[in-house]
Amino acid sequence: MEQGGEQQRSDEDYGYGLFPKRKEGKYKKGSLGESLFTFHNKCQLMLHLALETSPYAKFLLGAMKQSGCTAYRDRHFSCEDCDGTVSGGFDAATSQIVLCQNNVHRQSHMNRVVTHELIHAFDHCRAHVDWFNNLKHLACSEIRAANLSGDCSFGNELSRLNFGFKRHHQECVRDRALRSVLAVRKVSPEDAKKVVDEVFDSCFNDLAPFGRIPHSNNDVKFASRDFQNRNRYYSNL
Amino acid sequence: MTAAATAWRPPRSCDDYWSEFKQCKSLWNYFHNYYTFGMAPACQQWKADYKACREWEKQSSAAAKELLQQSERARVAEQSKFAPVWQLRQKPPDDWHLPLNHNKPQDP
Repeated sequence: MEQGGEQQRSDEDYGYGLFPKRKEGKYKKGSLGESLFTFHNKCQLMLHLALETSPYAKFLLGAMKQSGCTAYRDRHFSCEDCDGTVSGGFDAATSQIVLCQNNVHRQSHMNRVVTHELIHAFDHCRAHVDWFNNLKHLACSEIRAANLSGDCSFGNELSRLNFGFKRHHQECVRDRALRSVLAVRKVSPEDAKKVVDEVFDSCFNDLAPFGRIPHSNNDVKFASRDFQNRNRYYSNL
Repeated sequence: MTAAATAWRPPRSCDDYWSEFKQCKSLWNYFHNYYTFGMAPACQQWKADYKACREWEKQSSAAAKELLQQSERARVAEQSKFAPVWQLRQKPPDDWHLPLNHNKPQDP
């Protein structure tokens, strides 16, 4: 939440309206009501599996740990009910990844959302990202997350009935970054598109920590190998 | 003050160059490179690097070392050709590990 000179802006201006349970949920945390009437337990289980078994998530967690941002499940992840069709978010004010328990029902989807949000967390950890005031920074992180998380894989695009092939990945990244920016900020589509276009080249080519666009678990394995080898690599250039 | 000079070695192990070459040439990579960039991947540089790496291992040839260094520097330059949008941190955010306070009223 913003302080000081920005007091007249409300939570709505920063997309917090999509995550109403960030303030007070209908069911108290840990209550029987929460267990029986929400998807909370299912979300927690899928989250645990994602963090333990997804090569993308494990690699990002390792990279963040190296940067001094060890992510703990109980502190840095939260399963909540969200509005609309949003799948997750990163709350920089609390350094928490929010997972939308009412909108994420398959393990593969959870893996991808966790990866996507971890990329935002990674950016928050390694750079001075001004999430609340700088639209370019927000757009940049969304471009990176769409690019590197598998959001725009050929398979995922097919399932959305987007049948592009040649260079389609980039179109998808642009489109999804634009949608993400519009979901959490009150800007016009024209302004959002302008910002995404401005930062696209720089951010699409920023592949940290992977060093490549991972299209498979095997790519992540290669990325992990490069990451382990980075000291040798840079000292022998 | 003197530092013990660490002997130079190729930035990656020779096996790593070979496996990158094989991965680059695979049908899977061809497909995804076309899907991402609209063109076939360029794989010959990995093979050239592998050959240079092996030559270095056999003969400690200065030419092989130069070739490898140039090739890898070009790869790094390729990834750094656009100015970053944000400034990198020197240390992680101060509040990353602070505990959550659920009882604190939310600021307006």
